[in-house]
Amino acid sequence: MAQSGDRAPAASLSLLDATMVGMGAMIGAGIFVLTGLAADISGPGALLVFVLNGVVTTFTGLSYAELASAIPKSGGGYAFVREIFSDWISFLMGWMLGFAYMIAGALYALGFASNFVEFVHIYLPAFPGGATMHVIYALLVIVGLIALNAVSTEASGGAETVVTIIKIIILLIFAGFGLAVVQPDAFQPLFPEQKTGWSLLPAMGLTFIAFEGYDLITTVTEEVENPRENIPKAIFISLIATVAVYLLVVFVAIGTLGADELAAAGETGIAEAATSFMPQIPLLGGGGSLVVFGAVFSTVSALNAVVLASSRVLFAMGRENQLPAPLGKISAKYGTPFWAILASAVVMLVSVVFLPIEQVGRVSSLFFLISFVVVNLSVIRLRQERPNMQRPFEMPLYPYVPALGILLNGILAYYLLREDVVTLLVGLGWIALGSGVFWALKRRDASGDEDAATTDAASDA
Amino acid sequence: MPSRPDLHVIIAGGGEVGLRTAHLLNDRGHDLTIIERDADRCSRLGDEYVATIIQGNATLPEIFEQAAPQSADVVAALTNDIPANLAICMMAKHLHDNLHTVMRTDTEIGDAHADLVDAVVYPERASALLAVNAIIGGDVRAIEDVMGEIEIMEVRVSEAAPARGKTLEDVSFPSGSLVISDHEGSRIARPDTVLEAGRRYIVAADPEVVDEIMRLLRG
Repeated sequence: MAQSGDRAPAASLSLLDATMVGMGAMIGAGIFVLTGLAADISGPGALLVFVLNGVVTTFTGLSYAELASAIPKSGGGYAFVREIFSDWISFLMGWMLGFAYMIAGALYALGFASNFVEFVHIYLPAFPGGATMHVIYALLVIVGLIALNAVSTEASGGAETVVTIIKIIILLIFAGFGLAVVQPDAFQPLFPEQKTGWSLLPAMGLTFIAFEGYDLITTVTEEVENPRENIPKAIFISLIATVAVYLLVVFVAIGTLGADELAAAGETGIAEAATSFMPQIPLLGGGGSLVVFGAVFSTVSALNAVVLASSRVLFAMGRENQLPAPLGKISAKYGTPFWAILASAVVMLVSVVFLPIEQVGRVSSLFFLISFVVVNLSVIRLRQERPNMQRPFEMPLYPYVPALGILLNGILAYYLLREDVVTLLVGLGWIALGSGVFWALKRRDASGDEDAATTDAASDA
Repeated sequence: MPSRPDLHVIIAGGGEVGLRTAHLLNDRGHDLTIIERDADRCSRLGDEYVATIIQGNATLPEIFEQAAPQSADVVAALTNDIPANLAICMMAKHLHDNLHTVMRTDTEIGDAHADLVDAVVYPERASALLAVNAIIGGDVRAIEDVMGEIEIMEVRVSEAAPARGKTLEDVSFPSGSLVISDHEGSRIARPDTVLEAGRRYIVAADPEVVDEIMRLLRG
């Protein structure tokens, strides 16, 4: 008998599926964990933080849409930058973007742990939940998802869509109940006491990670049906819908709990708000538990999305010879990019253990901001150097859109770093490590070439 | 730099031969740029979503350079204008001498330019498939395009292949693929057939899983 394959190949994604890839990755820990922190920095002005971040993200979203419609590659931001920038810049882009996904994974895992403990405590108050246990649960969820992804390529398209729709519904239920009881006074004044409009900038940088994820649509472009039309659409629909959901949730959270209490609740702010106004739900108990359930659910699915995204970046770099070859190979036994997934896992696990949660969010936001600056630069360079390239989606108002994208992302990165030496050091450390790896690989390749040349010369003689 | 598993290929001419070639190469996971002169044809090529498209005359250096030849591995000149194909290959070699050049010719001119370019293909002999064979080299050879969709290929298992040295039952092949023969085509493959590096195997696959087969058997 001949040997026929039985592993399911990648599914094809409809416009809805592609949109949900973006929304699924965006609606993760960010909205649940960071809303309280944003209220702490900006007061009721936290609402503006989410509006403005939506605007800033849209500029880069337009750049992603133009690039994805013109360049049919599934590598996401790394593939686009690789197209037009030097080996060195494209390596750093992949190095930073991959790290941003990995460390976002660490944030989602920690967000999962605190919500998971909260959720289990509703039923089992004796369940161990100290700070050390949080780290252990975070490590366990990473190991679990990595194991799942390393040994199985089961098409996640359809399942991911269902999961994402469930999390959106949970947030909408929360917002629906809350809108009825919002106190308009909670937004007066928008910036109380010593807080000013300038406090928006550091808060935007901190919460920026909640707006990252639409870019994951460009890592699966070749699986999308009618890609030239559907990819730009999926990017915009997922961005607009996500921002709308965020605004509802933040508006309700501040309007019901008040900015001060929301800030005091910190990472569990949204759940506290839900407890304050939602009716008892059969089986689940108070409204808080529904939101905590939604958060557990969301963080796991967002973590799954970044595990895939980071391994795809490493895989693409491995195939381009920018990282050691095993990272660019699929496993014969499982059909998955096994080593790329494993390498992402190691970085996530180390980040969970050694970085505090706020630091994790900041470092990830920083690298997304830098990566998005480079993506916007790619649009400008491609327009200048390849004017004849076909662009089925051309962004309006070029060059103002990418220029503003660069400027605004740059400003947010600056404010993120201004008062935070640790983030700066972690960022510089990672770039320095990347530079070392780049030159080491380059030297290895160069010496390999010389050997080959010597052998050729010898055989000629 | 050692060669990448996925080649960057520039195809000059997005006619039926160029497009079909692009589809077959894309199915195998290679990166493509097509240069096409006609604007309407370009938008049709765009809908296929298999390659980056540059609109313009590929014989002009300013157009050709927009296909990023400095980071490409192969140029295939597949327009139906034979002198233009020769010009494109000569220009490509002149500007970037590490590029492998493949030129489409016709029966009248035949092999006259064979010494000037790296490979010559005749459209009369199933041109698209021949172009793919010439671009990839001898390690993966398309045998026939059965019923327009399924591909049957003779694939040499590379030293760097993840599946090298494994039996067929130990390798997770995607559904829509079938390893038909033992190496050198002497026996029908069995679950305990070993995929040995350097040996050739006959493989049938749906177009959408050919890239996965390549990654397993070629690295």
